[in-house]
Amino acid sequence: MLNTKNKKVSLGLMVVSIIYLILSFRLPSYAYVPIDSDVIPIALGFILLLLSIALFFIKDTGEKVKIPMNDLIPILIVLGFIFFYILFLELLGFIIVTALFIFFCSWYLGYKKFLSNSLVSIVLPVAIYFLFVSFLQIQLPSGVLPF
Amino acid sequence: MFDGILAGIEVVFSFQGILFVLIGVIVGTVIGMIPGLGPITAIAVMIPITYGMVPALALLLMAGVYYGAAYGGAASSILLNAPGTSEAVATSFDGYPMAKQGKAGKALAVAAISSFIGGTISVILLTLLAPTLANVAISFGPPAYFALMLMGLTAVSSLSDGSTIKALISATIGFMIATIGIDSQTGTPRFTFGSAHLLEGIDFLVIALGLFALAEVCSLIINRKEKGTDTNKIGSLRLSKQEFREMSTTAGKQSFLGFLIGVLPGAGGTIASLLAYVSEKKMSKNPEQFGKGAIKGIAAPESANNAASGGAFVPLLSLGIPGSGTTAVMLGALMVLGVQPGPLLIGDHPDIFWGVIISMYIGNIFLLILNLPLIPYISKILKVPRPMLIPLVIVFCLIGVYGVSFNTFDMFLLLLFGIIGYVMRLFHFPAAPLLLAFILGGMMEQSFRQSLTISNGSLAIFFTNPISCVLLIIALLAFLLPILKTWKRKKEDNQSSQQSA
Repeated sequence: MLNTKNKKVSLGLMVVSIIYLILSFRLPSYAYVPIDSDVIPIALGFILLLLSIALFFIKDTGEKVKIPMNDLIPILIVLGFIFFYILFLELLGFIIVTALFIFFCSWYLGYKKFLSNSLVSIVLPVAIYFLFVSFLQIQLPSGVLPF
Repeated sequence: MFDGILAGIEVVFSFQGILFVLIGVIVGTVIGMIPGLGPITAIAVMIPITYGMVPALALLLMAGVYYGAAYGGAASSILLNAPGTSEAVATSFDGYPMAKQGKAGKALAVAAISSFIGGTISVILLTLLAPTLANVAISFGPPAYFALMLMGLTAVSSLSDGSTIKALISATIGFMIATIGIDSQTGTPRFTFGSAHLLEGIDFLVIALGLFALAEVCSLIINRKEKGTDTNKIGSLRLSKQEFREMSTTAGKQSFLGFLIGVLPGAGGTIASLLAYVSEKKMSKNPEQFGKGAIKGIAAPESANNAASGGAFVPLLSLGIPGSGTTAVMLGALMVLGVQPGPLLIGDHPDIFWGVIISMYIGNIFLLILNLPLIPYISKILKVPRPMLIPLVIVFCLIGVYGVSFNTFDMFLLLLFGIIGYVMRLFHFPAAPLLLAFILGGMMEQSFRQSLTISNGSLAIFFTNPISCVLLIIALLAFLLPILKTWKRKKEDNQSSQQSA
């Protein structure tokens, strides 16, 4: 029954719409308006449910979904890099984290010119930092560095 | 009036006047290229700098920044598929494919020239029509707004190729995401799961950069080793005669549309660029070229959103009502300078009123003169080798989000939307309807509920109001016609296959 990808996706979406509907029905009501805050969400929930039921019965078009297993690994690793970037941003500060991120991420992806890579990873974060903090007056986390 | 125009010209053509427009355009372009920093931030940053300046000169600087930032946004859409503002989303539909084919230079040139055409037409219309149009704009009530936005949204679902149902699903999910946060009418927090970060809803930038830029990064990672792909070439800026004709007729038409939408207070530039793109695709003889790097696909949204930004000045200057986020900041800037926009502005401060309008002409011209020769340098971004470009684009997106929200929570959300965007690509769900439904969703819900509050819950209000009735009928047709067409085509195909069998 679940032999086509449309059917799988549509089941997933049905689950999403049902959860959304349950949450919408549980929204607290407010007496003094003709249209309460749950009206639009409930409508949207039913629309998504209908659309995903419709998708269930639609034949897949010729295009095949190939999830490229080998390619997923580098993507996951880069996403992991981003995750740690965000995690350490406010601890270590923008300049240090960004420099490390640019250096190691480009190294991992195959940029092997050591000198130009280190140059970019140092100059760019410093330049962006001062552009933002001094000129645009947007505070970036300074972290462990004194300035 | 004539004296006023003369006074305005005198201010603009002074040495200082020209210098300030020039500085404004350069600074604006640079700021606009950074995602998250659009015209609004660019102008806000300029406010403290203009303290104590002669108001007319300060406004010249602002007009330059304004146009420059709009153009800078288009550049990052085209080169990196990273639309930094909602106005620039439609530009990426054809701009990025064109850059991928090695025609980045051409794409940027088309964007610059169409912006110029859009800006110029809108300034001419502004000069002629400002007082009259202001009256029309205030007659647009909530039902008409709702209908206008619904029209924009149904247009989106027919905009993407591939399955209409997937586009609709994507739009519905976008609308659902827009319902996250505190409800503006009742104050009920919705779908926040107790998180304080979600109370204000999710920022536009998080979704735009996630679905477009980060998802693109994932595809780039896979193809990182493809060397010498077309993106490394910038291509010539020259447009052939035919391309030029294509671009200028499109830009001419869409500028009028863009200007009119810009006059209405609301999501001016975004709706304008979107409707321009869709209507151009609908009218085109070969709609299948759209989304694959059509010149018209860049010319339409770029001219329309620049025209809309001119149109937004109509309610600002003649009524004192800001029609968009950017003009709201402009209003603030004007008040800091001691100028109160409104019906009296033309009479009391003719030099300022006409100074603003004339500086827009000049800002436009400078933008064109400056940016065309800069294009080869701007598109050097594409020459950066991919393993280096990928982390740079990621950092670019991350700072953009941090600069808007100042917390890491939104950055994690960005990561999440990047993954969602990539999964959507794998399953052939279009991302554009989701983003646009998200942008329009909040406003649509508001105008829908305002309308029903006016009518005490009766849906009839959408049909008794003539403007909204007409718009709703157009929306319905825009939605049904493509479905009928494919249905008919399928039927014919079936018949012909049966005959051949």
